[in-house]
Amino acid sequence: MQTLFYIWRNLKRNKLRSILTILSVGFSLALMTVLNGYMAMQGVWGKEAETRNRIVVMNSQGFSGMLPISYVDRVRNTEGVQAASQYAWYGGNYKDEQMPFAQFGVDPKSVFDVWNEMTIDPKQLEEFQKTRNGCVVDRRLAEKRGWKIGERIPLQGTFYRFDLDLVLCGSFDSPQDTGSLWFNWLYLDEGMRAMNAAGTGNSGTIFARVTQSESMASVSQRIDERFASSDNPTRTQTEAAFAQMFTDMLGNVQAYIRNIGLAVVFSLSLVAANAMAMSMRERTTEIAVLKAIGFSRRRVLVTILGEACSITLLGGLLGIFIGCICLELLHTLSSQFMPLSVFEMLGPWLVYLLTTAAGIGFVSGIVPAVRAAQLSVIDGLRRVV
Amino acid sequence: MSEAHLENGEPVVVVQDVCKEFHRDAITIPVLSGINLELKRGDYLALMGPSGSGKSTLLNLVAGLDRPTSGTVTVCGQSLESTSESKLARWRSRHIGFVFQLYNLIPVLTAFENVELPLTLTSLSRRERREHVEAALQVVGLSDRAHHYPRQLSGGQEQRVSIARAIATDPTLIVADEPTGDLDAKSAGEILDLMERLNREFHKTIIMVTHDPDAAARAKQTVHLQKGVLVEKTHAGQE
Repeated sequence: MQTLFYIWRNLKRNKLRSILTILSVGFSLALMTVLNGYMAMQGVWGKEAETRNRIVVMNSQGFSGMLPISYVDRVRNTEGVQAASQYAWYGGNYKDEQMPFAQFGVDPKSVFDVWNEMTIDPKQLEEFQKTRNGCVVDRRLAEKRGWKIGERIPLQGTFYRFDLDLVLCGSFDSPQDTGSLWFNWLYLDEGMRAMNAAGTGNSGTIFARVTQSESMASVSQRIDERFASSDNPTRTQTEAAFAQMFTDMLGNVQAYIRNIGLAVVFSLSLVAANAMAMSMRERTTEIAVLKAIGFSRRRVLVTILGEACSITLLGGLLGIFIGCICLELLHTLSSQFMPLSVFEMLGPWLVYLLTTAAGIGFVSGIVPAVRAAQLSVIDGLRRVV
Repeated sequence: MSEAHLENGEPVVVVQDVCKEFHRDAITIPVLSGINLELKRGDYLALMGPSGSGKSTLLNLVAGLDRPTSGTVTVCGQSLESTSESKLARWRSRHIGFVFQLYNLIPVLTAFENVELPLTLTSLSRRERREHVEAALQVVGLSDRAHHYPRQLSGGQEQRVSIARAIATDPTLIVADEPTGDLDAKSAGEILDLMERLNREFHKTIIMVTHDPDAAARAKQTVHLQKGVLVEKTHAGQE
């Protein structure tokens, strides 16, 4: 009979208590998995962006600032830039759904030169380029929605007053699920002009692909210098830095959530420690018997610690499993928020979570384990619990 | 045999001038004073005396669970008063078999697993452990209850499993603290028969603490303790 076997039998001693402890650890770890998974996704996304030689131009005041459409050509003509396209976020509702996927106004002629890792059937691209209200979507989004070529996709503006009545011209393949729809920016701008609405001629942001990754910094600087004295000075950064900016915008929230998570873990450790202490108190005589028949202090310590860690590791595994299911569901239901599948971002953060679970076990078990190891056999045998 | 290291005739237990005191705050409580005792291989000793006379304390000293305040305790050739805790634990697993009044079986383990527990501390293979356990259960007559949990056994059967656990490692000395104290007369008789058999057939050295004169009468010799002092020693058949 091995120590593990004995630990396993002890876990089943008070099933209700073990299950409740496992569930409490599991619930907390599931929350931490979702949070850490989201942050891991941002990291993977940022690393992916680093390999694309793309820079992003935006108004130096941020997204609320104007970025005139004329800037697109000027960026495109900057030395070192290979292709550029406006990229205006629309954020419309689809039928009864509020912003269910990402929608961007782009330049159909150059957008696939900027995102050259994305591929589209040339005929579909040609159709997109010549159809004013045409749009293309990520293939996975089309499949998820069951959209076919020629499908009408009506979008109600929320930020823009002009509603879009789009026709699906094609779908593109991308290495990762973008969950995006691209439409002709001109269609939106013309609609806004026809309504005499404010905010026309705004490209939102400009994405540009540069010839060499080494020149991204110098090209960015050149662009910003060019517009420095204009009414709308720019801030240009790499796509990776742009992605990081979104993470940084959430920075404080992340810190709050992380701290709250740690507080939950700490209080959970106390709860688990209480459960372990109760369990040990009930087994004082039993531990004394083990020591009497020859179990060493170290063996008793390892057994009790092993028991505590096993409970929390089981809870941790359960929590991580549930958390991963939540992340995968999030990816399936809202790929614009969660563009990566869990399987695309497996990494050290999962080990960190498991270590956290084991850590809870260690913290909760160490005091009862040390007390059990130091228990006097005579006192233990004499005690009536 | 675990007694192999003992030379012929060398006593299994030698207690010399042992005193034991407990300290409660500033108060010193003398429990044993000037105890001298010697047991040879195959001896069967009953320790009697009123509550608080020091019987269990003496048993604990001999079993290596406690240390004397003064004097020496040598068991199976090992001087116990200065041995470290970890060495004592290892020593107990090799030389001492324990039988407790309340059986003290592990409730989450079957009879087989309870008997196997002390064997997990040895270097025996799984097959060898199984053989030892089966032999021990056969001796106590519980082979058919090997896979029962303690809650599925009667008090007498639990105590027999406890005895099987005590003899599984083939210890030199068996210490029994009121082994019949929690049993009805019939079960107590069966346990005493078993203890006697272990002594006669297997030549186990046994020290048994008891309040029961009938139980003590089954031992080869009886010592009486009164207020921590050995006051009387009788041999079987001697009144």
